[in-house]
Amino acid sequence: MKGPRRLAEPRPATVQAADDGRPQTVDGRRVDAIRESWLIEDRWWTANPLRRRYWEIVTADGRNLVAFRDLERNRWYTQR
Amino acid sequence: MCSHVIVCVHIPRFELAVAAGGRHILAAGPVALAPEHGREQLIGEASAAAEAYGVKAGIRLGEALARCPQLKLVTPDPAGVADEWERLLIALENIGARVESDRPGLAFFDAHGLRNLHGGTVEGVIAAARRALGTPARLGAAPSRFAALAAASKARLRRSEIAPTKLAPYLAPFPVDLLSLRPETAALPETLERFGIRTLGELAALPRAALADRFGTAGPLAKDLARGKDSPLKPRRVAENLEERLELPESASGQQLERALGLLIDRLLARRERRGRPLRAAVLGAKLVEGGSWRARVTFREALADPRRMRLVLAPRLSELPAPADALRLKAEGFGPPTGDQRTLLAEPAQLRAARLREAVRQARAAAGPDAALRILPVDPDSRVPERRLALTPWDP
Repeated sequence: MKGPRRLAEPRPATVQAADDGRPQTVDGRRVDAIRESWLIEDRWWTANPLRRRYWEIVTADGRNLVAFRDLERNRWYTQR
Repeated sequence: MCSHVIVCVHIPRFELAVAAGGRHILAAGPVALAPEHGREQLIGEASAAAEAYGVKAGIRLGEALARCPQLKLVTPDPAGVADEWERLLIALENIGARVESDRPGLAFFDAHGLRNLHGGTVEGVIAAARRALGTPARLGAAPSRFAALAAASKARLRRSEIAPTKLAPYLAPFPVDLLSLRPETAALPETLERFGIRTLGELAALPRAALADRFGTAGPLAKDLARGKDSPLKPRRVAENLEERLELPESASGQQLERALGLLIDRLLARRERRGRPLRAAVLGAKLVEGGSWRARVTFREALADPRRMRLVLAPRLSELPAPADALRLKAEGFGPPTGDQRTLLAEPAQLRAARLREAVRQARAAAGPDAALRILPVDPDSRVPERRLALTPWDP
């Protein structure tokens, strides 16, 4: 994304996920609970579609995190 | 030869080639520029294949399609054309030319002072200009602007044409259609051709009084042009490229666009290159989601550096956008003289604090750049994609 600095830019993350896509560890932190999951699809009519599966998780050390898998690029990110 | 030699750079169908994405599209078949969004339904430049069917720039869309049913229409891209033309003008200025240009695809400069820089001859200057442009262009040289244009129209894309010193006999065989490339005389060729006057030589032979009677001031001007007389060049001042651009991934319109405009204004005013100068004119442009672009030039009633007043002037223009935008841009076109903040006679504590804060921000920006003092601007607070909601914009206390 060009132009001014945006807040809440996604950061690449290392995630181990189960077969059904649920994250099990995020950046080395074990996932204790999954609070919510949702799917975002946007700009599917353009050459740069956006498809993300979001997970709101609680890690074993008590952190609340939002992570998503970019379904177009097959990469994981965290986001505040 | 007269000391002044005007060089004309003519790139035919420039707007069409840029909008179509390359000159090769023009060779593929009849192509023309579609009417601009929200304007009269007149087509723009047409390719040679389209012209063979009688399709010309300025005729109604319905008439063009009736003359050539297989005509392909290309969405106009005024912002892309302006960018590409600006790039070429800067390339010419980089060889030392002081350029005059009223429309994309046509530029003039005086080769007089450049000859010593480029081999001592006009041919050397033309070769340098051709190298700088890096794109096929027709180049002609003559002692006057209009004659240079005539020479360029006779030149080929890789062979330039230099007119002789005696211009009247040289110009005589050229068609009166050349006058259409000059704004003041653009309306004349059609009428002249209906009268059976087809060449500049025939036009030059007409009495000046009769031409003035029929065409007003454009008549004698056309006669002067046909005889090789023309006004001196008015080169543009070398422009500073001060522009801010914001991509809008959610194809914004309405309130989102106004917020984006506010952000662009803040960023433009915070640029160090502005050096305290207020803006006299700005160009607001957008890349449209359905292809093509939109561009509007706004001249302020007085030079402005106040973001609130600039927003008041520029925001209503956003309603002219014919479609949602993928990207918005704001470019400074002209500057007023540098101004300082005038203090009030009776300073109040709040104003004093605000003045100190402004000075602190100014010093911080001088030391650390425009990103030294920022505030959070909600660009699209309701977006489902978190990174599209908020952006950082320069803070103006």
